[in-house]
Amino acid sequence: MFDLLVRSPKFIFGTAIVLAIILFGIIGPVFTRDPLKPNPHHVAESPSGVYILGTGDLGEDLFAQLCMGTRNSLMIGAIAGGFATFVGVLVGGIGPYKSGLADETSNAFTNVVMVFPMLPLLIVLVALFGGGNASMFLVATLIGLTSWPWAARCIRSQVLTLKEREFINVARMSGVKGRKIVITEIMPNMLAYIIIVFVVSLSIAILTEAGLSMIGLGPDPSSNVTLGTMLDFLGTGSTSIALPWNYWWAFIPPGLVLTIFLLGVFIMQSGMDEVFNPRLRRV
Amino acid sequence: MKNPFAHPFAKFVLKKLFFYLVVTFIALNFIFLIPRLMPGNPIDQMIPPGTTDPGRKSLRAELGKYFGLNKSRSEQYVDFWLNLLRGNLGLSMDFRPVATVVMEKLPYTMVLVVPVLLVGFFVGNWIGARAAYIKGKLSEAIYFASIFASQMPFYWFAMVILFLLAVKLPIFPTGGTFSPLFIPPLHSPVEVFLDALPHYGLPFLTLLIITTGGWASGMRAMTLYELDSGYILYARQLGFRKKKLMSYARRNAILPQFTGLNVNLNNLIGMTMIIEMVFRWDGVGLVALNAIKSRDYFLILGTFLITMVVVVIGNFLVDIAYGFLDPRIRTGREG
Repeated sequence: MFDLLVRSPKFIFGTAIVLAIILFGIIGPVFTRDPLKPNPHHVAESPSGVYILGTGDLGEDLFAQLCMGTRNSLMIGAIAGGFATFVGVLVGGIGPYKSGLADETSNAFTNVVMVFPMLPLLIVLVALFGGGNASMFLVATLIGLTSWPWAARCIRSQVLTLKEREFINVARMSGVKGRKIVITEIMPNMLAYIIIVFVVSLSIAILTEAGLSMIGLGPDPSSNVTLGTMLDFLGTGSTSIALPWNYWWAFIPPGLVLTIFLLGVFIMQSGMDEVFNPRLRRV
Repeated sequence: MKNPFAHPFAKFVLKKLFFYLVVTFIALNFIFLIPRLMPGNPIDQMIPPGTTDPGRKSLRAELGKYFGLNKSRSEQYVDFWLNLLRGNLGLSMDFRPVATVVMEKLPYTMVLVVPVLLVGFFVGNWIGARAAYIKGKLSEAIYFASIFASQMPFYWFAMVILFLLAVKLPIFPTGGTFSPLFIPPLHSPVEVFLDALPHYGLPFLTLLIITTGGWASGMRAMTLYELDSGYILYARQLGFRKKKLMSYARRNAILPQFTGLNVNLNNLIGMTMIIEMVFRWDGVGLVALNAIKSRDYFLILGTFLITMVVVVIGNFLVDIAYGFLDPRIRTGREG
């Protein structure tokens, strides 16, 4: 599977964008100032040589915030996406192989949960469990808890197609047990697919976290910086007064980083679709 | 006489009805469970900070009795369902029934959701089908624009559009539903409509551009896929006119798009809530934001309940419409 993916230019291009932003999040914060330190002498300054992206309404270095925010957003995304993928593999991967009641139940449950409007549900959950000053881990877990149905559905459909392949039939005919087939035959063949489900779940989680932070429901903005808290427009963050005062430099960069990351994941995903679904390649 | 429920379409409708009843039942159980699973006691959060002990204890007992929290879990569960069936969702912090507060604001939300859903669907699919048909540079440009529109964070786009079209170029008001000092009950419906219209512009545009982008990119891919399939190639060999080919491809490409309406509706409700918060449009989302700020738990749950009901009804209608459009389901015969 990996050798096919590596030959797809779309996949390579998308992966390069995603890796570049991950690298930015890892290396950036090492070289920048403390992202939360206020500086009363440099309040709400436009971009300059010293402050590349200007400063916030308390004089915070916004470039430092962008670096740290990218790192923290990626961390939240990794926890939430990992959680969603894990549950997705359990629900979507084991179900179809245990044909019968277990499969029916897990599939019906996934379909029921798919109908829930997830963002309103998350708003309720974070408002009630977080109580105004949630930790990054809590927010990430709640996002993971509400985003697994998509992962489960993707993995289920992939398992269903793999199940019909010849080598699985050979394994079954030679007397290998169902669970062992899933672990030794199906999962290794799905590794590339699962990784991409993880990356997409991660990107959705980052997008969701930023939306929650923007309405003041993300991790506590007084001690955490994420791309979302930088957009904290309705709460207390640096952009709350940015719009009327024309601080474009406070809210354009974090949104751009988010957009570029999401586009990277999208390109990567469509490259993958072409590999897994050869008929699309001709288009 | 023939049994009307024996008709395959009636069976399909009943099956869907049952499914959505199950969804509603599970969701309502969540609504019962969530506040009871949360850390700490909601009652403690309602007591004003700084209340001293003897008063605090009696206030706590009083509030506990009022909300029925001193009863056993099973009694609470029965009460919960009885109240729901009576349409009683509890009282908000300002002692108004939650159901009234939320239902009052629901039309403002629906006025955004329904037009965006329908206009976005038709415009987006039209653009996507055209883009697939014309091919070349313009088609690519439309494709990238629609991908960009569908991938960028919608709330960020709302801020950008607010900055450009309300702050930099003051074409639209920066937020709200009516002008300041405008009191809707004192004016005629036409005046109310005309005053709300400019305020409606930006939230509508934001949601429309985002959803249209998603439909257009999907439809372009679907149409290209259909244009490449055997029956179109055969018809082309036979010398069918391009317009005819296009109409065949479009009709087959639109069907899978219809199945996307469900997911789109679910996302759109959530998006609308946040967009309302950004533009201070007076819908359910703004109620939720204010409820979160004042920790009004009944009201927060009430807004979720109402979005849940809207989503379930919407999904049911979409499924029925899809069943009606797909001849295989309508007649109950396999393709």
